[in-house]
Amino acid sequence: MAGIHIENVTKSYGQLSVLKNFSLEVSDGEFVVFVGPSGCGKSTMLKILAGLEEASSGTIRIGGRDVTDLAPGDRDIAMVFQNYALYPHLTVRKNMGFGLKMRGTDPTEIDKRVTEAAKILGVDHLLDRRPKALSGGQRQRVALGRAIVREPQAFLMDEPLSNLDAKLRVHTRAEISALHKRLGVTTIYVTHDQIEAMTMADRIVIMKDGAIQQIADPDTMFKKPANLFVAGFIGSPGMNFLRATVNTNGPSPAARIFGYDVPLRIPQSFAGREVILGLRPEHIAAGPGAVTFDVMPRLVESLGSEKYVYVDVPVENRVEAARTGGDERRADTIIARLINPDERVTEGPIKLSFDPARLHLFDATTQASIE
Amino acid sequence: MKRSTLHQTTLYAAVFLVCAFLIFPIYWLFITAISPPDQLRVLPPRFWPEIPRWEVFGQVIRERPILLWLGNSALAAIGSVILSMTVSVLAGYSLSRFRVRGGQSLGLFILTAKMLPATLLVIPLFGIFRTMDLIGSLWSIILAHATLIIPFTTWMLKGYFDTIPRELEQAAMVDGCSPLGAMVRVILPVSAPGLAATALYGFVLSWSDYAYARTFLTNAQTNWTANLGITTMKGEYISNWGDISAASILIALPVLIIYLFLERYLVGGLTAGAEK
Ligand SMILES: Nc1ncnc2c1ncn2[C@@H]1O[C@H](COP(=O)(O)OP(=O)(O)O)[C@@H](O)[C@H]1O
Ligand SMILES: [Mg+2]
Repeated sequence: MAGIHIENVTKSYGQLSVLKNFSLEVSDGEFVVFVGPSGCGKSTMLKILAGLEEASSGTIRIGGRDVTDLAPGDRDIAMVFQNYALYPHLTVRKNMGFGLKMRGTDPTEIDKRVTEAAKILGVDHLLDRRPKALSGGQRQRVALGRAIVREPQAFLMDEPLSNLDAKLRVHTRAEISALHKRLGVTTIYVTHDQIEAMTMADRIVIMKDGAIQQIADPDTMFKKPANLFVAGFIGSPGMNFLRATVNTNGPSPAARIFGYDVPLRIPQSFAGREVILGLRPEHIAAGPGAVTFDVMPRLVESLGSEKYVYVDVPVENRVEAARTGGDERRADTIIARLINPDERVTEGPIKLSFDPARLHLFDATTQASIE
Repeated sequence: MKRSTLHQTTLYAAVFLVCAFLIFPIYWLFITAISPPDQLRVLPPRFWPEIPRWEVFGQVIRERPILLWLGNSALAAIGSVILSMTVSVLAGYSLSRFRVRGGQSLGLFILTAKMLPATLLVIPLFGIFRTMDLIGSLWSIILAHATLIIPFTTWMLKGYFDTIPRELEQAAMVDGCSPLGAMVRVILPVSAPGLAATALYGFVLSWSDYAYARTFLTNAQTNWTANLGITTMKGEYISNWGDISAASILIALPVLIIYLFLERYLVGGLTAGAEK
């Protein structure tokens, strides 16, 4: 077990810069998730950690040892691949024991450790099968097993759940978390799924176009997103965004949304600035409240325990900023997520309200959060 | 239902026709071998001799050095296959895995060698082998056949390696293999069907050569290959077609046997299960 220290790692393929100044300190036993849209460089960073790709610059230390120029096999890490990469010509037993065999471990010791790991993962009855004869979920477990028998300093996992069906994914997600608790091995886990990131991580590293956007624990990531991208990426359905200009028509600065002036807790100096207001769907309630507005829903979706109310956004509040979160929504609607909603919320005009303290404020040009 | 029955019937009829067309010459070769010489040119043709001469095969083996020729052919084929596979496994793997500047055009350049007719290469090769003092030696055709086999097998193997996910050797490297070790311990075993198909292709190419053997080996009787030997059975005035046909069948047999033996490798896909 060991901490991982990544310092100013960059990676370019010719002209294409894939990682920009990636620095991260992972402490011993921590579970860190790299999350971001496809193509943002997550796998590249993981492969650099594994030694499968060479960084263009920067240094990597694992357990205090500089491994930047070491071969993958000398780094004492184990990796779980998205497609599992089980050796098709070897039985499950030999797949799991392969790494130990390469290190010259005593065969009886290999056998002992393989059996033990197989028991933990519930694949002990499959040890003499070939990968071809396993289901997707079983292959996934064997891939995990192959990683844990090695008892490495760190686990690197690249989207290990994305080939499983939805139900199995949720189940295995919990199992990986439990496995991490039990073994306590430093883990770096890559996913494009923010829910996986939120549920599993001690800390999340959110990335976009090869640059880190924010490093924080899941709660902070949700409550205090550093910028518009993070705000839109974390949470489902994603945060609603409304564009407005700060005015000083009233006693304090305010922004006009849905035809109402909503007071903002910002200094007077912001007057005239373009801002983007963020409001999570679950922070909108049915009925009157601190800020109430009358709307005509475009669509109401009922999920039983909750309702999604889609509301058209006035032209002057629309945000053209591309939305890169899980759900691609048009800029001209916001969603209200009503928990245990009133039966009467159907079609027709309704009152919605929110607490202005819940608003997130972003600079319209830099997209950074305004504290 | 009706339509699919019709469909099936047509399909089987077509398959039958194609097979008949392909098999007939082989059948005729066989008939020629076991018919008495005086029944070969009768009209209307006979499709099965009254008294088949089964003993013709034993007789040919006793009277002609067929076994020696077969041995030479086998040596040449095995030699050129080993040589070609060694080169093309490494070359094909490199072309598949490493992005080198100009790698693509290099690969195409290798293929152009394949486009030249073998006869065009005979003369320069003859010159080269004479300087190397290889004329008359089996090495001459081993090398010559390898020049024909390598371009093609390199490409076949590159294509095969392309279908194997890179994560397999990455996993092996994380598990402690060197890049070469990952290839030997993981990629090659996984490629067994591809290797078998490729080796068989090379074997058949070498086995069926006549032009090179004729050019390089004519004056070295003890090194004659089967194909070269068989042509010497055709006399200037009289030819014993029965014997020649029997010898031809004996020569075709090894390839057939090898094919039957390797068939399950050629069809089977070992890579299934590497992913997902
Ligand atoms: N070998 C390569 N050559 C050129 N570009 C590459 C190579 N590998 C990855 N890339 C590019 O690097 C970017 C990041 O890729 P990757 O790390 O796989 O993204 P992610 O895992 O976040 O989806 C992508 O734009 C991809 O096209
Ligand atoms: Mg990836």
